[in-house]
Amino acid sequence: MGFLYKKLSEKDKEEIKKEAKRIMDSFGKKLSKIKELPKEGSIKRENSIREEGPGKDGSPDFKKRILENAPNKNKDFIIAEKKGWE
Amino acid sequence: MVEKMTTLEKLKKYLEKIKEKDKDLNIFLEVRPESELIDEAKRIDEKIKDGKAGRLAGYVIGVKPNINVVGFHASCSSKVLEDYKSTYDATVIKKIKEEDGLIIGMVNSDEFACGSSGETSAYGPVKNPVNPELIPGGSSSGSAACIAAGFCDMALGSDTGGSIRNPASHCGVVGIKPTYASVSRHGLIDLSMSFDQIGPIAKNVHDATLLLDVIRGKDENDSISLESGKLNLKELGKKKKFKIGILDFKIQDERIQKLIDEKVKEISKKYGWNVKKVRIEYIDTAIETYYPIVYTEFFSATRKFDGRKYGKKIEDSCGPEVLRRVLGGAEITRSEHEGRNYYLALRVRKLIEEEYARAFKEMDIIISPTVPRLPHKIGEKITIEEMYSYDALTIPSNLAGNCSMSVPVGKVDGIPVGMQIMADKFQEQKMLEVGALVEGFGERR
Repeated sequence: MGFLYKKLSEKDKEEIKKEAKRIMDSFGKKLSKIKELPKEGSIKRENSIREEGPGKDGSPDFKKRILENAPNKNKDFIIAEKKGWE
Repeated sequence: MVEKMTTLEKLKKYLEKIKEKDKDLNIFLEVRPESELIDEAKRIDEKIKDGKAGRLAGYVIGVKPNINVVGFHASCSSKVLEDYKSTYDATVIKKIKEEDGLIIGMVNSDEFACGSSGETSAYGPVKNPVNPELIPGGSSSGSAACIAAGFCDMALGSDTGGSIRNPASHCGVVGIKPTYASVSRHGLIDLSMSFDQIGPIAKNVHDATLLLDVIRGKDENDSISLESGKLNLKELGKKKKFKIGILDFKIQDERIQKLIDEKVKEISKKYGWNVKKVRIEYIDTAIETYYPIVYTEFFSATRKFDGRKYGKKIEDSCGPEVLRRVLGGAEITRSEHEGRNYYLALRVRKLIEEEYARAFKEMDIIISPTVPRLPHKIGEKITIEEMYSYDALTIPSNLAGNCSMSVPVGKVDGIPVGMQIMADKFQEQKMLEVGALVEGFGERR
């Protein structure tokens, strides 16, 4: 599988899935050989709590902008197929 | 530096060049209607005449299509978002407009910024203006190529693992990856949220610095963004002493390292720089550390592309490299309960960050080649590991969160080679001053 864009068949997708797993497994194997690893997470923040305050008023055209690119909509609603995620 | 042409004259020159040459280079995805551009150029010229123009007046700017600009498609060079029209301006775009920068259009890139070559775009690869058989680099392929092709003055790209610096090197232009959190990501369609930064690409260090100074700063719409202070352009080019570290890391093409070493020797002799080799432990694991984090964060970032609110379902419409990252990220999150991959990579990232912090206590700047090899031919068969290895020298800066830039310093086999100049977090002023001095010594294009 190359890098140039192409429409992918189901067979291509299976091959890509195997490639991705192979790469991640090999990368994980290399990293697991490092002996001394820190315990903490990677980002130090002095202040990680945001002051919420009274909040901003949404702009009047916010709804219009949110719906503008929806492929299927009905006035104020985006229409999506039921159980489409399954 | 703006040449002595009006904005309108310059715009017309660029538009003519784009009409003549872009069909062979495939750089622009969208150019604004000519009448609109001309009207805006005239308005900017009036403001210049009246002495009321902003800092970017006279500059013509291209934008990577993962950055929202009202009136354009933020397609991310993908079929997934080919119909998605931006409904708001990214913060960086607002800032450019406030300073009278003239946005000419959206340039091509790797699809969803996934790539290091410029080949993965759903709209065809960008060609390197220096040699159109070769890749321009990526993922900000069009951003670097539009400058090299003479289609505009400046461009915005995004850099997650080298996506500004890599194409800047291959195309022979200047590109900057700012310190993480110094430029707002509001309006950037994310690849990997703990690495992404928007940055400038330009013909020279001065122009890149100017654009960076305009776009950076704290933004309430990007909760992790931080204030950085103003850059001092007047200091660029002034003779100063710096402590320079040359990265001790063996690369694929020794001719590139030789060129970098020779340039550093020349410049340090003239300016009395203190130069020594520097070793960064664990840097040979940078690629293996970076990609699990990117795969995981990209998988998370792409859950919104389900075809309901906008666009199409990403898994049904994307190309191979995007799908690889989505499926790889899905796989990592499934196996994560064992602490493999993502969490392990975060811990190694911490080690690399600490290594750089240690090194920058001793030196001001770390220098290396930007890319360890010359660009391959477009469409050439290379392995995933070979593709990812292009990022070996740029990724560490994203892992550590510090700032780095690529400055053209010469050619190997007629192909531009960039020197990467890296400084500690929020030390852009130092980095840019060194960059300006190095630029003075680069082989003229």
